[in-house]
Amino acid sequence: MVFLQNVIYYIYMAFAAISGFFLVKQLFKREKHKGIVNDIIYAYCIIPFLLRILQIK
Amino acid sequence: MSLKMEKSLLVKIIALVCALVLACLAGIEFYDHRHTKETVVAAEGLTEMHMLSEWVPSLKGTFGDTPVFFFDSGVEGGTILYVGGTHPYEPAASLSAYVLLENIKVEKGRAIVIPQANRSATTTGMLGNAYPSFYEVETDWGTVKFKNGDRWANPLDSWPDPFTYVHYPSNVSLTYQDIRNVNRCYPGRPDGSLIERVCFGIMEIIRNEKVDMAIDSHEAAVMYPVVETYVAHDRALDMAMMASMSLSAEKFYMKCEASPKNLRGLSHREWGDFSDTLAVLMETPQPFTDWIVGPMTPTLQTEGKDEFLDTAAKHGLTYVDYNDDFGSPIRYRVGRHLSGAQEVISWMNQMMPEKEVLVSWPTYEELMEKDCGYFLHDPAKADPSRVFDI
Repeated sequence: MVFLQNVIYYIYMAFAAISGFFLVKQLFKREKHKGIVNDIIYAYCIIPFLLRILQIK
Repeated sequence: MSLKMEKSLLVKIIALVCALVLACLAGIEFYDHRHTKETVVAAEGLTEMHMLSEWVPSLKGTFGDTPVFFFDSGVEGGTILYVGGTHPYEPAASLSAYVLLENIKVEKGRAIVIPQANRSATTTGMLGNAYPSFYEVETDWGTVKFKNGDRWANPLDSWPDPFTYVHYPSNVSLTYQDIRNVNRCYPGRPDGSLIERVCFGIMEIIRNEKVDMAIDSHEAAVMYPVVETYVAHDRALDMAMMASMSLSAEKFYMKCEASPKNLRGLSHREWGDFSDTLAVLMETPQPFTDWIVGPMTPTLQTEGKDEFLDTAAKHGLTYVDYNDDFGSPIRYRVGRHLSGAQEVISWMNQMMPEKEVLVSWPTYEELMEKDCGYFLHDPAKADPSRVFDI
């Protein structure tokens, strides 16, 4: 049970890393909504994923 | 590359750099909160210090592991357990445990102290409430910084939450984040979530060490009905009732409530149902957790003065007397806990002399006169074997 929880935990951590990666990708390469406001939103949304992956928050 | 594309790339890079700067600024504060430790100097009577992982090995190396202090008089008698930090956003509970364990004297029986039951929750703050990370206590030897924690364990240590938390073993459904709440996970299980294992460890201490009376300290909002009160398990109700009457007559107003039988996962219910201990929970008035107060500052935590709450009290909207001349200072709340615990132990001694525990620590009157810092000792001048970082 504890082992399974640890596995699920690391899967979620991997999801956080993948989500962060795709946000960076979308920031630089996207087809729609190319305005500056969306640039700021994408950049800002990276923060929680970055802090989660670094085990800070 | 066209000029337009270059400009667009520059904007993206600037946005990313700004986000990283913000992440750094916030991250430094969050990192500090997560890794700062509180230093405590245990009283001379300390006989043993163990970690909770000795009862639940899977906690070793996690933020769920927490120190457990033993004070044994060597004279046969009962055993009491004092728990602080169940909800680290109620800091008078853990501070009262620190004052207690720095000054405790045990003449008969044993005392066990767990100052930070949910150590993981001390490493993060309440989301969205703009809580300051720390508050300060003045001492003769300097200013000491303590943490304002959260009600729930840090998601970094227990994540993800289920959609619905199903309490073990009752199968009662509770709100999802309560799987990280020490006071909703008792009696716990050895192979459960982080906090279920923490709760199981505390239950094992109660059972294996044959704890006669277990006291869980908390704080509550002034506008919350369960404030300035004992909540006692059926077997402890008589002594908590007597203690509330004597405290209300002699020191400060204190109510007493019976632990509801269907409210599962709470210490005052499960400690009593899953062991032979006499389970008692205590609540002090803490304006910091009220919903209508003004700026959430460290001073509000330590002094508890708020004009909005004062107005509410004047309109009869609070469950206890409150005014912003006095507020609800932390010395008052710590003093209430320490005398509240002494009083209920004293009634246990009278009603069950075979379980007598003779124990003393600073009282309500002493806290009100001298404040908390007076009772905290300088780690730099203390015997290093009694200095612990928590």
